[in-house]
Amino acid sequence: MVAVRRKRTFRWVVFGLLGFYVLAPMAASIQFSLEAGYQGHLSFIAYSQAIAEPGLAASLITSVKVAAGAMVITLVLLVPTVILVNLRLPRWRAVLDAVSLLPLGVPAVVIVLGVLGVYRNLPDIITGTPVILALVYVILAMPYSYRAIDSGVRSLDLHTLVDASRSMGAGWGKLFSRVLLPNMRSGILAAAFLTVALSLGEYAIASIMGFMTFPVWLVSVEGNNPYVAVALSIAALLVTWILLVALALVGSGKRRTTTGFGIGLVDALDEAETSASAPGAEPAT
Amino acid sequence: MKSAGSGARRFRFLAAIGVVPFLGYVAFFLIIPAGSVMIQAFRDNNGRLSLSNLATVLSSQQPWLHSYVVSLELSAVSALIAAVLGLVGTVALVSSSNLLARRLVTTACGVLANTGGVPLAFAFIATIGNAGVATHVLAEIGFNPYDHGFSLFSFTGLVIVYLYFLLPLVVLLTLPPVEALRREWREAAATLGASPRSYWQKVGLPVLTPPLIATLMVLFMDAFAAYATAQALTTGSVPLVPIEIGALLAGNVVSNQANLGDALGFGMIVIVVAAGVLYVLVQRRTARWLR
Repeated sequence: MVAVRRKRTFRWVVFGLLGFYVLAPMAASIQFSLEAGYQGHLSFIAYSQAIAEPGLAASLITSVKVAAGAMVITLVLLVPTVILVNLRLPRWRAVLDAVSLLPLGVPAVVIVLGVLGVYRNLPDIITGTPVILALVYVILAMPYSYRAIDSGVRSLDLHTLVDASRSMGAGWGKLFSRVLLPNMRSGILAAAFLTVALSLGEYAIASIMGFMTFPVWLVSVEGNNPYVAVALSIAALLVTWILLVALALVGSGKRRTTTGFGIGLVDALDEAETSASAPGAEPAT
Repeated sequence: MKSAGSGARRFRFLAAIGVVPFLGYVAFFLIIPAGSVMIQAFRDNNGRLSLSNLATVLSSQQPWLHSYVVSLELSAVSALIAAVLGLVGTVALVSSSNLLARRLVTTACGVLANTGGVPLAFAFIATIGNAGVATHVLAEIGFNPYDHGFSLFSFTGLVIVYLYFLLPLVVLLTLPPVEALRREWREAAATLGASPRSYWQKVGLPVLTPPLIATLMVLFMDAFAAYATAQALTTGSVPLVPIEIGALLAGNVVSNQANLGDALGFGMIVIVVAAGVLYVLVQRRTARWLR
C-alpha cells in the first residue's frame, strides 16, 4: 500500500511540475497581453491595437498564400508518386522513403544558403517573390507529409481496389478521383495540415530571404509594441494547436503512434523495420 | 512469352518515369542547393579549390569556431536536461493505468513538440522577460531574477525555452521503449531481492540506453538547427551558427571571403548528418527487441 501511494504521489508531483511548466507561459502571456503595461487593469487594448496594426493583413495574406501554395504542390507532387510507387514500383519504395527523409539532414538555414547561391540568376518571379518560400516549404515538410500520405496509401488494399474498379470499367481518372482519393482522405488531410502548420510558422527562411510573412512581421512589431506581439502570438499558437489537434484526430483510429509530426522520423524507421521483418504484412506484388 | 516479358519491362520503364517529377523536385530544391553549399565551402573567391574558408572557420582569431562551441553546448545541454526530465515524465505516465489520460498526454505532447518559433519566444518574454508576469511576481516577493544574474536573453534563457518543445518530444520518443520494459523483468528482479533502485540501475537503464541515445540525437538535431526561437529572443547576442549564417546572408555581417557562409553551413551539415547516422544505427538495434 505504501508503495502504491508513493507511486501516486510521484506521478502527481511530476505531472504537476510539467503541467505548470507547459501552462504557465500561456497563462502569463494572456495576462501580459490583457494588462498591456497597466498592471492590475485588464483590457483588450492590445488586441484592438493588433487588428489596427498596418501590415498585419498583408503579412497574413502572404503567409496564407505561401501555405496554400506549399500544400497544393505537396499534394500534387506526392499523392500520384506514392500511389505509383506502391502500385507498380515496390522496389523503389525504400529509395523514395529515404529520399523523403533527406531534408532532416539539412538545416533550414543551409537550404537558404544553397538556394540563394545556386538560383541567384533565376527569373525574379521565382526567387524574388514568396513563390520560392512555397517551393522550399514543400521540401521542409516532406519528411512528414510523405510519411502521412504513404501510411494512408499503405492502409489500403491498393491492388484489390484498382483491379475491382478497372474490371467494373472505371478509367484511371475515375479510379483516382472516385476510389483512391476518398479512401486515402485521412493521409491526405494529415499531409495538408502538416504542410500548412509548418508553412504558417516558418521564420528562418522567410526572414533571411526578406519576405514579410506573418512570423517575420510579428518580430518586427515586437520592438515597438510587445503587448501586440504577445497578443498575436497567443492567436498564432491557438491556430497551430487547432491544426495539430485536428491532425491527431484525423490520424487517430488508424495508428496508435500518430500523435503529431514531431515523431515522424521514428514512425518512418519503425515502419521500415516492421515491413522489412514481416513480409506477410504487405500485399504481394 | 518473350514478347510478354519485354512488354512488362517496357511498362515498368514507363512507370519509372512517374517518379521523375518527385526526384527532380528534391534534386532542384534540396540536393543541388545542399551540394552547392558543400562545394562552395571548398572554393576561394576566385572559384579555385581551397581550404581557406574552413581555415577561417576553424581559426581561433575569428569568432566562428566559438559560435560552433556555443551551438554545440546549447544543443547538448538542452538535449541532456530534456532527456532526463522527460524520461521521468514518461515513467510517471506509464505508471498510470488511466488510458484516457495517457492518450490525452501523448496528443498534447505531439502538439507541444511542434510549438516552437516566434510565438513561443514571445510567450516566454511575457512570462520571464524583464517586464514579464512571473518576473513581477518574483520581484514583489523580493527576488527579482534579473537582479541575480538571470536573463531570458542568454544561454540559460534559451535552454529554458528550448525545453518547452524538447520535453514533449522526449515523452513521445521514450514512451514506446519504456512501455516495452517487461513487467516480468521487474518482478523477477524483485523476487531476487532487488530494490527498485537497483532494478533501474542494473536492468531498466541499461535496456533503455540505446533508445535514450537515439532520443538524445533527435533532440540534439532539433536544438542545433533551431533558428527562430533564438533569433527572436536574443537577436544574435548568443552567438549560434545558424544565426551567424543568417547574419552573413542578410549582409549584417560582412566578410571578405564570399563563401564563408557555405563553409559554416558545411560544418552544420556534417554535425547534423553525424547525429542522424548515429540515430539510425542505435535505432536499428533498439527495434530488434522492441517488438
